[in-house]
Amino acid sequence: MITSIKDGLRTGLTTAIIFTFLILIGFTSVAANIIGDVLGNPEALNDESQLPVENLLILIGLAGFITGLVTIRKGSSPPWIDVLLRGLTGGILAGLIVGIVIYIVGSFHMEGVDFRAYLPNLGTAQLGYLLFYSTPLAASTTYLLYFTVFSLVGALVRKTLTMLTGLSTQLKNLKSRVSNWSDTKVFKSFASNQLFQAGLIILVGVGLYFLPLVWGSYWNYIMGTVAIYILLGLGLNIIVGFSGQLVLGYVAFFATGAYTFALLTAPEPHAVGLNLWVAVGLSTLVSILTGLLLGLPILRLRGDYLAIVTLGFGEIVRILIRSDLLTPLTNGPKGVTNVGQPIWRGHIFTDINYMHLLMLLVLAGLFIAKRLKDSRTGRAWIAIREDQTVAQATGVDTYKYKILALLLGAAFAGLSGALFASRNQFTGPEDFTLMVSVNVLCIVIIGGMGSLPGIVLGAFVLKGLPELLRELADYRLLAFGALLVVMMIVRPEGLWPGQNNKKGKMAAFTNSLGEDNLEERA
Amino acid sequence: MKLPVIETQNVTMSFGGLTAVDRVDLVVPEQSISSIIGPNGAGKTTLFNCVSGFYVPNDGEINFFGKKIKGLPTHKICELGISRTYQNIRLFNKMTSLENVLVGQHPRMNSMWVESILRNKHYRQQESQALQYAYELLDFLGLSDLADIPAFNLPYGAQRRLEIARALASQPKLLLLDEPTAGMNQQETAEMTSLIRILRDERKMTILLIEHDMRVVMDISDIITVLDHGQKIAEGKPAEIQSDQRVIEAYLGPGVDEITKKFKRKKTNNVRS
Repeated sequence: MITSIKDGLRTGLTTAIIFTFLILIGFTSVAANIIGDVLGNPEALNDESQLPVENLLILIGLAGFITGLVTIRKGSSPPWIDVLLRGLTGGILAGLIVGIVIYIVGSFHMEGVDFRAYLPNLGTAQLGYLLFYSTPLAASTTYLLYFTVFSLVGALVRKTLTMLTGLSTQLKNLKSRVSNWSDTKVFKSFASNQLFQAGLIILVGVGLYFLPLVWGSYWNYIMGTVAIYILLGLGLNIIVGFSGQLVLGYVAFFATGAYTFALLTAPEPHAVGLNLWVAVGLSTLVSILTGLLLGLPILRLRGDYLAIVTLGFGEIVRILIRSDLLTPLTNGPKGVTNVGQPIWRGHIFTDINYMHLLMLLVLAGLFIAKRLKDSRTGRAWIAIREDQTVAQATGVDTYKYKILALLLGAAFAGLSGALFASRNQFTGPEDFTLMVSVNVLCIVIIGGMGSLPGIVLGAFVLKGLPELLRELADYRLLAFGALLVVMMIVRPEGLWPGQNNKKGKMAAFTNSLGEDNLEERA
Repeated sequence: MKLPVIETQNVTMSFGGLTAVDRVDLVVPEQSISSIIGPNGAGKTTLFNCVSGFYVPNDGEINFFGKKIKGLPTHKICELGISRTYQNIRLFNKMTSLENVLVGQHPRMNSMWVESILRNKHYRQQESQALQYAYELLDFLGLSDLADIPAFNLPYGAQRRLEIARALASQPKLLLLDEPTAGMNQQETAEMTSLIRILRDERKMTILLIEHDMRVVMDISDIITVLDHGQKIAEGKPAEIQSDQRVIEAYLGPGVDEITKKFKRKKTNNVRS
């Protein structure tokens, strides 16, 4: 009884805090809009200043429903009376708190207080929408009602679901069968067939060649960005994923690559006018040298210290580029325009050419990373990641290998920087903020540390999706944070973990051990 | 005369005010099993760490076949031919057994990273040799069934053996074993003991080990060195050590008479106060 009430209250409080937070940053109306889009509701009513209230109500109902679902703990099946209690207490508390917040904010709003001074997203239109264009009291009562009812429904649904245990075990079986599909004999015999492999490679190659021709320049732009980030991810993966050195200033190498290329090819400020392919090579080289400059003194540091020093390094490079001191060299905050573009068969590179080049480089990058991973060098890196002290005592010159990892990572960044500048025809210091480092690091971690397919997947999720969901652009950081937290809880090994850290295999092995032991005893 | 494998002269290692190893001279002859014993905190592992290069002693010299190795980084010492295992197992957890042994062969290979991208002949040859030797070692230690299992998931005994396999992979002349039978049952201990003997007799290796299990120590050691409070208090054949008065005192404390005396004194003190 009491534990039920406690659980309910705790869940209600959590929902209330999250929901209030979302209201205050103005996320609720964006979410409501998306719900409207999904359901095909009209964007606005006849009176254009008012948004359809149903979308917001659905959102509140959904929040209440989730609250109800969560009040019932995983794997438990309390009696019906407890279920009612949990759903009710959770819903009432959440509704009460949110309602009070709405009432207070609404009352001030009615008296003409402008919240935008404190909370920029809480404008008049927003608040009107949150109040359902009626009085604060009516609105807060609606919130309370919706939360309570839907939380109750959620709890009851959860209970009904857990009662159908047969169904859930069946689901589990299906799930494990699906997730082990790559282990089945049919798949293996298929995959090992050389003809099949060759056919697959040709098919994928042809597909990759024709895709950029077909899908238009908008998609080429987005996918080009994704490809550049895959390259960056592959490079950082060598440093962070393989050798385990947390380098947070990766953007510095990206920036040096882009600027070297831009300054060598643009008419302003230097008019060097170097051959573009030579410039690409040189910018990669300069990035490698930057890596050496950074790596030699600091790679003796470990863990947190390394992270902080490299974090500083990334910012230093950006600030130096835009500083007054280097403005004669780099054009300062204005950036470099008219960066050179390669010429192919007599015409300047089109978006299709760029896309093809980037695809080629991504494939080459994947190939190189894969071969490095499975070699003496890759094993040395992974040993350093696992236990640096022991790796060194096992004969690995850790300092040398850490520098090698940094240099190779920097080379990837320099190359993609050059392409980035060339494709955009522009490069400025604000392209190289800390966020780039964070983005790339997120790609590596969310994809699965040290896993190559994981990086491709991570780049699509973290760079491709946000481009498509432009509406959410303001909340990208919020989503990143939430995604990272959820990932660390649900899939700490990443979206597509490397072979050795798959959970399923470990579990399967421990299970098989247990069975063996039983047989021996019997 | 043959040079000893390891000869430490006057090795001293102190941390702040604590002298963990105090002017220890140690001679390990070739193809022998030498043991270091002593109560907890006697400085055994610290001495090991000095020999394998984890610590640089404050004073004294360490010679490996007459070559000074004090101050060399650990990977250089490993390349010279000293491998070790750890008291608390330290494997590369996410790597498979096979990969652990392959990492162990690192100092015996020389292929460069460019070669691994090109996969030239040299690289392929070396890689296949390494793989073959790794399987041999795993087989030798009874781990061939577990080759593809991440080290973290191995049973305890297998983890201990894998550590030895990894240490053997660099083909060392001297193997340092830090409590190889800790936490093992009788049968596993017997297996480990015979394994250590095989290493000496068939692989012609020199073994220096720290061990708490006295039966094991007395059974396999050619020479035993006893440390207490960082100082060497005895050295000799197992039989000599067993009857050494200072060793017995180090382990069991001072004579029973003295203990009772102290106890009585305390009691009278208490009464007075």
